[in-house]
Amino acid sequence: MNAMTMSAPERLLDVKGLSIEIDTRRGPATIVDGINLHVNKGETLGIVGESGCGKSLTMLSLMRLLPNKIKVKSGTANFAGRDLLTMSKSELRKVRGGQVGFVFQDPMTSLNPVMRIGDQICEPLIYHKAMKRADARIRATELLRLVGIPSPAERLDAFPHELSGGMRQRVMIAIGLACDPELLIADEPTTALDVTIQAQIVDLVKELRVKLGMSVVWITHDLALIAGLVDRVAVLYAGTVVEDAPVEELFANPSHPYTRGLLASIPKLSDVAANRLSSIGGTPPEPGRRPLGCPFAPRCQLAEDICRQSVPPLEPLGGSGPHRVACFVAQRQLEAA
Amino acid sequence: MATIPMTPAELDEPKTSLWRDAWYRLVRNKLAIFGLFVIIVLAFAAAFGPYLTPYDFLSQDLDARNAAPSWAHLFGTDDLGRDVFSRVIYGTRTAFVVAIVVTAIAVTIGVALGAMAGFFGGWLDRIIMWLTDVTMSVPNLLLVVVINASLKAPLAAWMEAQYMATLNPFFRETIWVDFILVFGSMALISWPPYARLVRAQVLSIRSRPYITAARALGLTTRIILMRYVVPNAVGPLIVSVSAGLGTAMVLESAFSFLGVGVNPPTPSWGNMISDGLRVWQHYPHLLAAPAAVLGLATVGFSFLGDGLNDALNPRGSK
Repeated sequence: MNAMTMSAPERLLDVKGLSIEIDTRRGPATIVDGINLHVNKGETLGIVGESGCGKSLTMLSLMRLLPNKIKVKSGTANFAGRDLLTMSKSELRKVRGGQVGFVFQDPMTSLNPVMRIGDQICEPLIYHKAMKRADARIRATELLRLVGIPSPAERLDAFPHELSGGMRQRVMIAIGLACDPELLIADEPTTALDVTIQAQIVDLVKELRVKLGMSVVWITHDLALIAGLVDRVAVLYAGTVVEDAPVEELFANPSHPYTRGLLASIPKLSDVAANRLSSIGGTPPEPGRRPLGCPFAPRCQLAEDICRQSVPPLEPLGGSGPHRVACFVAQRQLEAA
Repeated sequence: MATIPMTPAELDEPKTSLWRDAWYRLVRNKLAIFGLFVIIVLAFAAAFGPYLTPYDFLSQDLDARNAAPSWAHLFGTDDLGRDVFSRVIYGTRTAFVVAIVVTAIAVTIGVALGAMAGFFGGWLDRIIMWLTDVTMSVPNLLLVVVINASLKAPLAAWMEAQYMATLNPFFRETIWVDFILVFGSMALISWPPYARLVRAQVLSIRSRPYITAARALGLTTRIILMRYVVPNAVGPLIVSVSAGLGTAMVLESAFSFLGVGVNPPTPSWGNMISDGLRVWQHYPHLLAAPAAVLGLATVGFSFLGDGLNDALNPRGSK
């Protein structure tokens, strides 16, 4: 199950040097700065970071769904041998919904309110698989059963407002899975849901990715939520990957000061005595005012002169292996040890 | 022990949809139902009236000119001895045909242009909005008068020439010239409000997450516009169309009244009112009958429009 145990795993998605800019009144400002990411076949990647660090934009940009004022400046995104960022619009439409399924953050507003959910699930089937309506409805019933909706056949004719938030998110997942995608991108799919429903959705995706053998990218700001779900985690800070490691390794040996801060700010029951939640001081840099060196340096307690002057590259910790970190201090500490 | 309901059929309240909810709210609104009733009666008269009227709208009874209302002539007769009741019913047909065709053309143009302007934005939006502004800035009446005055005679002459050349009876009916010019010029002045309404709706819908979700499904722009954008913009449009039908009837009457609409002898409320106005001191029924029906129709559409507005936008009312 774990991708690192296989030899030279095949990369399904390989993003290289992706930079995204936003047009502001003061000119273009970089939001995502030369990101490198990859997803192996059958692997589940968690992308973690605080609000505004560019997690969602990165994934939206891959499907070329960015809002008008935000543009990709440079980079490539190789998906199954083709570049998503330069392929023709008709090719892209086949990838969208066909090979890559998308699950959005807010199930309350991501379903068309005037369309029955059955019709919404049938839409990609009719479009991508050229299915007849009747066949598509049968498949839609199967999909609803697959995502754990009781009495799926009756539910086909329900409108979104007749379903609860958790049910709607299951419907969204069913739509994302409709065409057997090779990759499912879930953009904070549980943020709008109750904690118990969050756990159900996580379990559902965990079960489905094994059953369907697909890769999953799960975007979240909640490290603890996805600990049991993902194989590998990429930690994003201010539009760059600061640490990328198999999930057990990341929890056992967090190396970037930001990752450590994130892990420390997960509240634990044993902390009750302390009475205060730990947090990372300061705020991420604004898009137009990125620091010269490491973007985290202004908030970092370990920052040295070199951190403020040049950007640390994302390199394997200790020279090789799957654990990569972009931090001068962490790399040197390991050498010294 | 009571069993716990488990299937959706038992768990749910009666199945509802946005439209069904709106319908229930509409039915509870007495004024709207009155308006709907009036419209249905008038529509029935327009559709079947001509087969039920006691007299042909052209047949003259010169012995009974300007007769007051009686059982033989419910609304009396006019200066040529024609039955006013029959003429009002024929006028209903004219009014409905003009209102429906004009509104249909105007809504089609307005929805198409408004949806494109709102969805694509940019230079297309600027051109379309410039076009609506220009159209709206020209006085409606003036535009219609100019079009009819300048095109009607040449077009009729051309029809005449075609008839003489081909002897095709189609070209003999100059009534088509009337209708085409009336439809065309009225549609030309009626589409901009629909375009603006739809554009505003689409602008707000365009940025909703379900549109991004639809794009992420790989659907084509055409499908997204037709199945995701327009259906969600349609509520305010229905209200506007209902009011617009009433407005179109008044417009048609106004133009006929001024002599640039449907020409006599085709009965139209407007030219009946125009004729009646000249003699109303002596024969008030000639003015009262068409004016009352026109008033009733306008009130009917207006009440229904208000009712639909309350039914489709429940938050905005009360």
